[in-house]
Amino acid sequence: MSRLKTSHIVEAAFWLTLVAIFFAYSFEFNKEIEIYKYGATLWPRTILFLMALAAIGQLIDQYKNGDTTSSSKMAAAHEEPEANPEHSGLAWYTSTAIILAIPFVYMNLPEYITGSMNVAEDAREQTLANMKLMCAAGLFILYLILGWRNHVGAILALPIFFAAVLQDMGFYAMAPLFIVGVMILMGERRVSRMALVMPLIYGLLLLFFVALLYVGLPTGNINPFYNFGNWIVTLLQ
Amino acid sequence: MDTFNNFLTGTTTLFSDPVGILIFFGGVIGGMLFGAIPGVSMLTLAAILLPFTAHLSAEHGIMLFSVIYCTGVYGGAITAILFNIPGAPENAPTAFDGYPMTLDGRAGKAVGAAVMCSAIGGVVSCVIMMFATAPIAGWAISAFGPPEIFALVFFGLAVAASVGAKTFWKGWLSIMAGLMIAVIGLDPVGGIERYNFDMPYLAAGIHFIPTILGFFAVSEIFIQAEKKATGAYKAPKLSVDFPTFKELWMQKIAVIRSIIIGFFCGILPGIGATLAAFMGYNEAARWSKNKQKFGTGEIEGVISSETANNAATGAAMIPLLALGLPGGALTAMMVGVFQMHDMEPGPLVFINSPDLVWVVFSAMFFANVSILLVGFLEAKTIVNLLRIPFQFLAPMILLLATVGAYAVRGLTIDVIVMFVAGVAGFFLRRSGYSVAGIVLGLILGKIGEQTFAQAMQMLHFEFSGFLGRPIALGLLIAGAMTIIGSVYGAFFKKVPAVARTD
Repeated sequence: MSRLKTSHIVEAAFWLTLVAIFFAYSFEFNKEIEIYKYGATLWPRTILFLMALAAIGQLIDQYKNGDTTSSSKMAAAHEEPEANPEHSGLAWYTSTAIILAIPFVYMNLPEYITGSMNVAEDAREQTLANMKLMCAAGLFILYLILGWRNHVGAILALPIFFAAVLQDMGFYAMAPLFIVGVMILMGERRVSRMALVMPLIYGLLLLFFVALLYVGLPTGNINPFYNFGNWIVTLLQ
Repeated sequence: MDTFNNFLTGTTTLFSDPVGILIFFGGVIGGMLFGAIPGVSMLTLAAILLPFTAHLSAEHGIMLFSVIYCTGVYGGAITAILFNIPGAPENAPTAFDGYPMTLDGRAGKAVGAAVMCSAIGGVVSCVIMMFATAPIAGWAISAFGPPEIFALVFFGLAVAASVGAKTFWKGWLSIMAGLMIAVIGLDPVGGIERYNFDMPYLAAGIHFIPTILGFFAVSEIFIQAEKKATGAYKAPKLSVDFPTFKELWMQKIAVIRSIIIGFFCGILPGIGATLAAFMGYNEAARWSKNKQKFGTGEIEGVISSETANNAATGAAMIPLLALGLPGGALTAMMVGVFQMHDMEPGPLVFINSPDLVWVVFSAMFFANVSILLVGFLEAKTIVNLLRIPFQFLAPMILLLATVGAYAVRGLTIDVIVMFVAGVAGFFLRRSGYSVAGIVLGLILGKIGEQTFAQAMQMLHFEFSGFLGRPIALGLLIAGAMTIIGSVYGAFFKKVPAVARTD
C-alpha cells in the first residue's frame, strides 16, 4: 500500500527538475577537448544520472516504507527534529517563498524602473540611487507585513535582505539595524537590553576587524550611508 | 627516535612563537566553547575563521584548525550530556547515557568522564598518528597514483553517503548536490566554462568559503531561530560533581577498546569520528556486564563514545596529510586552508613542509592534553558563558559570518551566496539531508574529477586498466559493495525508526 505523501512527491519533483535543468544546460558546454575524449560533460552528466537514480530510489522507498526510514541509531543521530506543523504546508512555503523573494526584487527592480524611465544620462546615477532608497523602504514595509504573520520566514529573509543592501547602503550603517532586527526576531523585547547589547556587538566587531585587522568592509555607494561609512572608517583607522 | 626528535622540534617551534601560542590557546578555548554552546558547533567556529586564515601562515592556519578539531569534538559532549543536544553527530551516542545521567543529577560525573576519556583517546591517537603518518605518506608516494586517489575518493563518498544522513538516499543526494556545486566553474582538463548561466560571478565557480559558512554557521542559526520561535529552544543549566579515579579505572578495558575502534574508524575517509563514536558505544554495550543498563545513564556509555570520537581525530589526519583526502567536514575545511596558501595536502607536504607537519602534530598532542586541564576548568567556570542568551549570540555569529564571507574577495555577492546557502541548508537539514555531505562532495568533487581525468588518460581511456591496479580495484569494489549494501538495506532490511533517548 502506498505511503506516499505530497511532500515526498514534491521532494522527488525538486530533484528531478534540477537534474532536467542541469542536463539541458550541459549541451551549452558540450565541447570536445583534444587531450580528453570524454569532454567537459561526462562528469556532470554522470553525477546527474546518479542524482536521478537516487531521487527515484528515494521515491520508491518512501512509497514502500513512508517516513520510517531510519535504519540505525547512527542514522537517527543525523535527524533534525521534525518541522513544526505551523512551519510546513503549502501556505507556509508560499508565504516564505514570497518573503524570500523580496531581497532579489530589490536587487533588480530599481535598475529595471530606472532603465524604463526616460532619464538623462547625467541624472541617471542620482535617479537610480533615489529609486533604490524608495524601493528599499517600500520592500521593507512589505517585509514587515509578511514577516508579521510568518516569523520563521522573516528570520530566513532578513540576512539576505541585509546582504542585498550592503553594496548600496554599506555595512557600517546597516549592521546596527541588522543586530536589532535579529534580536527582535529571536524574541528579545526589552529595549534597555537591546540598547546595551547592540553597541557592544557593533563596537567589538568594528574594533577587532576594522581598527585591528584593517578589514575593508563595504561603505555603500548612496549618501548619506556612504559618508557615514567613511566617517566610521576614518574614526577607527 | 626520529619521531621523538621531530616532536620535540615541533613543540619548541610551537611554544617559542608568541603568535603560535596565542593561536593555540585561542583554538583550545574556542573549540571547547563553540562545541559546548547549544546552537553552534566547532564547525561554526571553523567556518567563521576559515577566511581569516589567509592572514595567518599556513603553519598557524592548519594548527588552529587541528586544535579546534580536537577540543571541539570534546566540547560537543557537554551539550550532549547536559541538554541532550549533541554538538555534532559524533557526540550523539554520548547523549544516550550522558543525558539520563544529567536527569539523575549525575551531570558532573558524565562531564568528568567525558573530559578524562576525550583526553586519553585523543593523546593516544596523536601518538600513533605521529608514528604512522610519515611511513604511510612515504608508501603513498609510490603506491598512490591518480587511479588510486580517484578510487579512494569514490570509496570515501560511498561510505559518507551510506552513513552520513537520515537515509542512504538523502546521504547520496547530499553528496551529489555537493559534487554538482563543484562542477560549476571551469572544467579542470580543458578550462571550459560550465553552468555559468551567463553570470560572470559563476564563471570561476562558487567559492567554497561562503558556501561552507552558509551551510554550517548560518543554517545552524536558522535552525535554532526556528526553535526559539516555537519555544523548543532549551536554555542551559549546570551542576558539577566529577567522577573519582577509581570509577574511571574500572572502565579501563572500555577505554582501550574504544581507542582501537576509534583509531581504525578515524582513518577511513568519509566517516571518521561519527562511526567511531557509534561503534565504540555499540561494542561497549555488547561486551559490558551492565549491557541492560545502557541508555539509562551508564557511565561506560559516555566513556566509550567520548574515547572513540577523540581517538578518531588523530587518525583522521592520516588520510588528510598522507594522501591529501579529507575525511569529514572539518578536515575538508583544512584542505581549504592549504589551498588558500597555494599548497595541496598530501604526501609531498612531508617533504616540502616538515616543520608544518610537526608543529601541527605537537599542537594536536597538547590540545588533547589541555582538554584534561582546561576541560575541568571550563566545566566549572567558562561554561557560565553558556548563559549568554541566544538572541544576543545569533546577531554576533551572523555578522562574523558576513565579515568572513566578504573578506575573502571583497564581493557582497559572496555574502548573498552565503545566506542563500544558509537558507538552503536550513530546508535540507529539516528534510533529513546532510550539509556535511554536501560540503564533502563540494571539496572532494574537484579532486575526484581531476584524478578521474588523469587516471583515464594514464590508462589510455580503458576502464579495464583498473584491473591491473589492485589498490584502486579493491577500493572501487569496496565502494560499490557499500552502495549495493546500502541500497539492499534501504529496500529489504527496513526496521522501524529508532527513537532518540529523550
